[in-house]
Parts: sequence; structure tokens; C-alpha cells
Amino acid sequence: MPKMKKTLIAISFLFSIISSCQSEKKVEEKQEYLRWVGDIEQNDQIDKLDFKVCNGDDKILQYFNLGEGPLYSGEKSTILKTFKSKYKPSVDNSQNGLIRIRFIINCEGKAGRFRVLQSDYDYQEIEFDKRIVSQLVDITKGIENWEICYRSDIPVDYYMYFIFKITDGQLTEILP
Amino acid sequence: MKNLILIILLFSFSSVFAQPNCEAYKYYGDTLKYEACKKAMETKGNYQFSREYQTILDESLTIDPTFDYAYWAKSIAYLKSGDFVTWKKLIDKTVEYKPKEHLGYRGWCRYQFFRDYKGAIEDIEKLDSLVDYDIGQSQNGTYHLNIAKGLCYKGIGEKEKAIKIIETQIKLNEEEDFVGTYDYLHLGVLYLEMERFEKAIEVFKKQSKTNELAENQYYSALTFLKLDKSTEYKSCLEKAKELYIEGRKMSDPYSNPMDKIYLENIENEIKTAYNNGSYEKP
Repeated sequence: MPKMKKTLIAISFLFSIISSCQSEKKVEEKQEYLRWVGDIEQNDQIDKLDFKVCNGDDKILQYFNLGEGPLYSGEKSTILKTFKSKYKPSVDNSQNGLIRIRFIINCEGKAGRFRVLQSDYDYQEIEFDKRIVSQLVDITKGIENWEICYRSDIPVDYYMYFIFKITDGQLTEILP
Repeated sequence: MKNLILIILLFSFSSVFAQPNCEAYKYYGDTLKYEACKKAMETKGNYQFSREYQTILDESLTIDPTFDYAYWAKSIAYLKSGDFVTWKKLIDKTVEYKPKEHLGYRGWCRYQFFRDYKGAIEDIEKLDSLVDYDIGQSQNGTYHLNIAKGLCYKGIGEKEKAIKIIETQIKLNEEEDFVGTYDYLHLGVLYLEMERFEKAIEVFKKQSKTNELAENQYYSALTFLKLDKSTEYKSCLEKAKELYIEGRKMSDPYSNPMDKIYLENIENEIKTAYNNGSYEKP
């Protein structure tokens, strides 16, 4: 009888180890999401304190929610000209891949909370030469007026992004 | 009757446009996928970007980590927010588990959202090599995937190859009376760029008949200029401006289509025409 008891204890112990391992694994796999994929929270360390969203973080839309495609003050041709005139190509021609700068445009047409994502052309995260990234961020931040978008006549806050294609250190395309 | 059910079930697996038919998995005895599918259907009513939507799909993938639909559904928000790193990881899973169903979609998105011409060509050509049926349309229905492939060849500078691909597909589209809204325009621009001006005018005229656009008149104007036909050049520019202001121009809810122009381009061309003295005020 004591032998059986010992076996039972051993089995239950084993089970508890197995199940605890599983639950640990599940916890590890579980991803924490914000309200929406890609939401950018204010970070006082890096974001301007005077940039405010007008309708609260939980009401920030995506640019395409407004149904008119990507909108730029003065159309995309203005953006293309801005980057063409201001961006100085990298001397390092081994730089290749995609750089996304994503940010929020508030109800006053002002932009803030800029975030950068970088990858090579195989979609693997990399870090570009800082001189490339900082130029693109600075030029983007320097765009003063963005399109004010409305929903039911109320000006809204929305997420917008640029994707820059860098080939051999040259800025070859700006999306979207 | 059994065959009919089979056909219906098979068809229900065949498209990424629609939600999967969970019952089909059950019919084939794949209970794990059936459960994963039922879980994934709980996303109904939630926004693709939302925590709830993503969490339900994670749970679906915990039930069956090979359930391609859940990866696909999860990937959409990352695609649309421009997170190419996460999107690619997710969409690769769908291709890993069901290449025939997802290669065309992945290829199209690589073009539409990231202008990844080479990657898009690889995916579309791979799909073509795997199936013996028509590879179909882009996700948004704007192009046959072969037209998209042609545009990608243009993107990497292989313009003659692009012309051949697009010419061939347009012929097939014409036979089925299913020419894409921008097909002739793209072909015309390619002809213009390769200095085949007469051919360009020919297809721009076809574009006018099927779907008139500011871009079509703008590129027609540039072609007439090359042909030294200044009257046509000027009138096309005027028409381009008019159409643009009316909103009859290329558009896409997520991006700016290839060969799209802006009002500034038209106005600059009009200014150039004035300055060259070849333009009289209408």
C-alpha cells in the first residue's frame, strides 16, 4: 500500500511538472497587445511633450480608415520633392532595405510620436547607417502641415507612415 | 450528391477571400483544424487591428499551429500598418502550409504595399509553376496577377519583358471581356517609355473607351508631343486637368498606383508648353 501511495505521489508530481511546464510555455507565447496593432504610446523620453492627440489615444484611426487613400497636404508630389531636395544619399553603397517611419497626425494636422522600423530586402530586421535614418526622420519631422482628416465633420487623429526603399544607399522610392 | 458535397467542400478551401468553411475540416476528419477554425470564427465583429481579434487568432493557433487562415487573418493589420517584418513572418506561415492558396496573395501584397518587385515576381511565378489553372486576380481585383507581374518587371527595369507579359494577358482579358481598369494605360506608358509612340496612342485610345482617366490623357499628351502633334498635345493636357479635378484619376485606398500622376505634374507640363510658345490660352 505505501508503495502504491509513493507511486501515486510520484505520478502526480510528474504531472504537476509537465503541466507547469506547459503553462509556462503558454505564458511565454502569449503576446501582449495594445488596443490596436501598431499603436504608439506616448514616451516622454523621446516624444515631444507638446504634441497632443485631440480625441484620446483610443480614438486614433488609420489613414486608410478615412477611405481616401494616403493623403498629403499638397499631394504626394510635394513629399517627393521635399525628400529629393533634402535627402543626401549615403556614401556607403552597401545599405539596402526598407525603413518605415510611422507617426500620428492629430486633428490640427501636426505630426508626433515618430517610430522607426528597419529591415533588409528579405524582411529581416537590421540597423541602417544612422546617417540615413536620422536624415529621413528629420525630414519627416520637418514637414509642418499634414492633411487634416474628418469623420462626420469632426477632425480626427490618425496613424500615417512612410516606407523608404533604400538601394545601394540611394533613396529609390517612398511609399505609400 | 456526394460529389456535389465534395465540390462544395473543396471550393470552400480554395479561396483566401472568404472565411473558411469549418465544416469542411470536420468532414475530412481534421478535428484539430475544425476546432481551430471554430475558434477563429469568433473574431467576427472585431476589427482586424484589435487586441480581441489578434488574441482569438492566437488561441486558434494554439489549437492548431498549422492553421493557415489564422496566420493570414492576423497578418492583415501588420500589412496595412506597414509592419513588413511581422507581416512577412505571418504570411510566410500561410505559404508554408498552403502555397497554392497564398502565393498569389503574398506576391501581390509585396508589390502593392512594399514595391518588392523581385519578391512579387518570385511568388507569382512560383504559383504559376505549381498550378495548371488560371492564377487569377490581385486581392483587390484591379489586375490579373500576370499584369501585376508585368508591372514588377518594369519595376526592375525589364521593360520589354513587361510589355510582352502585359500584351499577352490583355489579349486573354479581351477574349473574356475582362480587361482591368488600368491595363491599357500601363501598357501605353511602357510603349511611350520604349519610344513606340504609335502603339502607345493606340492603347491610350482603348483606355479612353473603357475607363477614361487623367493619367491616360496626360501620357497621351506626352506621346503626342514626341510625335510633334502640338494641337493634340495641348488638348490632352487640358482634358487631363479637367479629369483630375473631377476626380477621375488612378487611386488605391492603401497606396499610390504605379504610373499615377498628380495635379502638379499636369500644371507643370502646361507651364512648359506655355514657355515653349507652343500653347495658346484656350
